[in-house]
Amino acid sequence: MQDLGKNFGKTLNLDKLTSYCPGCGHGIVTRLVAEAIEELGIRERTVSIVGIGCGGFSHHYMDIDAIEATHGRAPSFAVGYKLAMPENIVFTYAGDGDSCAIGLGDLLHAANKGMPITSIMINNTVFGMTGGQMSPTSLDGQVTATTPRGRDVSWQGYPLLVPEMMRAMPGVKFLARESVATPKQIMHAKKSVKKAFECQVRGLGYAFVEMIVPCPTGLKKSVRESYDWCASQMNAYFQPQIFKDEMEQSHAD
Amino acid sequence: MSQETLFLKNTETFAESMARCGVKYHFAYPITPATDVMKRTAVILPRYGGTMMQMESELAVSSALAGAACSGKLAATSSSGPGMSLMQEAVSFMAGAELPCIMLDSMRVGPGDGDIVGAQSDYYMATRGGGHGDYHVPVLAPASGQEIVELMPRGIRLAYVYRTPVLFVIDGVTAQTTESATLPEYHDYAADYDVSDWAYTGTGKHPKRALITGSYAHEDGFQMNERLRRKYERITEAEQLWEEDSVADAELVVAAFGIHGRMCKDLVRALRAEGKKVGSIRPISLWPFPQKAFDALPDTVRQVLVVEMNHGQMVDDVRLALNGRVPVHFFGKTGGDMPMYTLHEMIAKTNSLLGE
Repeated sequence: MQDLGKNFGKTLNLDKLTSYCPGCGHGIVTRLVAEAIEELGIRERTVSIVGIGCGGFSHHYMDIDAIEATHGRAPSFAVGYKLAMPENIVFTYAGDGDSCAIGLGDLLHAANKGMPITSIMINNTVFGMTGGQMSPTSLDGQVTATTPRGRDVSWQGYPLLVPEMMRAMPGVKFLARESVATPKQIMHAKKSVKKAFECQVRGLGYAFVEMIVPCPTGLKKSVRESYDWCASQMNAYFQPQIFKDEMEQSHAD
Repeated sequence: MSQETLFLKNTETFAESMARCGVKYHFAYPITPATDVMKRTAVILPRYGGTMMQMESELAVSSALAGAACSGKLAATSSSGPGMSLMQEAVSFMAGAELPCIMLDSMRVGPGDGDIVGAQSDYYMATRGGGHGDYHVPVLAPASGQEIVELMPRGIRLAYVYRTPVLFVIDGVTAQTTESATLPEYHDYAADYDVSDWAYTGTGKHPKRALITGSYAHEDGFQMNERLRRKYERITEAEQLWEEDSVADAELVVAAFGIHGRMCKDLVRALRAEGKKVGSIRPISLWPFPQKAFDALPDTVRQVLVVEMNHGQMVDDVRLALNGRVPVHFFGKTGGDMPMYTLHEMIAKTNSLLGE
């Protein structure tokens, strides 16, 4: 067998069969995270704190220490961990259900504290693991397992825009929303993920990247349809962009 | 810091005991009657190279506590009933994940927001695990400032030897009592224990470690619970702790913990002076419950009286321990301007059971 480790380094665990569904956006994000860790040379002091949901599987594919937190609490776990282990690199990896339904309070307060922590939120607009229920980021009118007639924003709320809420927080030093809908966008996302880790390595402050990804299974679409939908509907609403990059102006205390 | 005797509120003594025994990180959220712990750790922990971190909720408190505990370093929290309810999510997690930490419940009146006056209303929550799942946490109930000082190293030992959260419960009356305590010289008890074989510190010196408490393979969940069961059996056998007074020939034994347990000394002395054969048992470890103290009661004992600042919680464990051997009576109340019994009321109740 070809030694893929020569190309990918030690972080990405290529021996493990993925449990992500075919076409799942998590696979792309997990690889981007592993590549950032590998390229920054921080594998041996990096700890992943994952949420509940499909994002919770991500650490199985990386050869780094990992903590599976309680649902929504990964950012608070990370705050406690970083306080006790300031030299280590700690990042949270969780979906939109974990991060902005049950864990929004934990996430926003962790961001506002401004400790050097990296958070990756994978937004596919549904609770994927439990079978495609509405999440806070489901689009206006989106049909899900729990919104059979589509999300009614008049009482179920509008799709939540998380980085927009963090924009005014001075402790957040790198803030971006990226998409994996097209290869070009994936290459752009790769740079932001790496910056989000670099921000912590340099001790500058909190870094957050939201990743817009498709969930073919949860969205009840073919892989191709789900990527098309991600590129048109999701990107149109969420508008991937870099909100804040204060890494050049910032200096660690 | 060297040994010194100070006149302190017992919540402050708790803070001093933590700091002087090696607690490095204290996560908390303000709540009466536990806030004085975090006020003092905010001042003193930096002297010991530690930090008090105020979080935005008790949910975040216990989650950050769990995150810090993953590192193997000693972290703690302190709260009161409503806060402890919120914390149970991560307490259950830490029990399953086998993470050491120190917690304090300065107990007030419940249920709901209840009242801020002292109570012993969290006995059930403390001794039955508190959150979801089959687990226990060792529970220690000091009855004075000096006993807080004496029990802190024991609590840390339990936390690291058995890799478990350890909970101190103090009724809000004892917690807010101001009295003298001789504080120990600094010693980092946590440093006495080697955590290198399990702590999640990065793969630098070891192969990948993953903390997984969810059981994706059902056999894993079964094995996790079996391991916990064996651990709880070891704790139950080895770690029962109580204080007893004049039980050798007693006809009536009063059982109480915390402030009422402390008052039993005076109760026994007063009634013995009148020639009445009364003794007392003061459970110090509430879990494991001191079954052995009740097993060893002599045949002279005809009845047991349980006094609590609640509507009857520990009395269940006393009845289980005695298993119908002798009648068990209950005397308790909670809340109000005077949320506990006076010594006079306890003596009157005991006398009435003695037929006087």
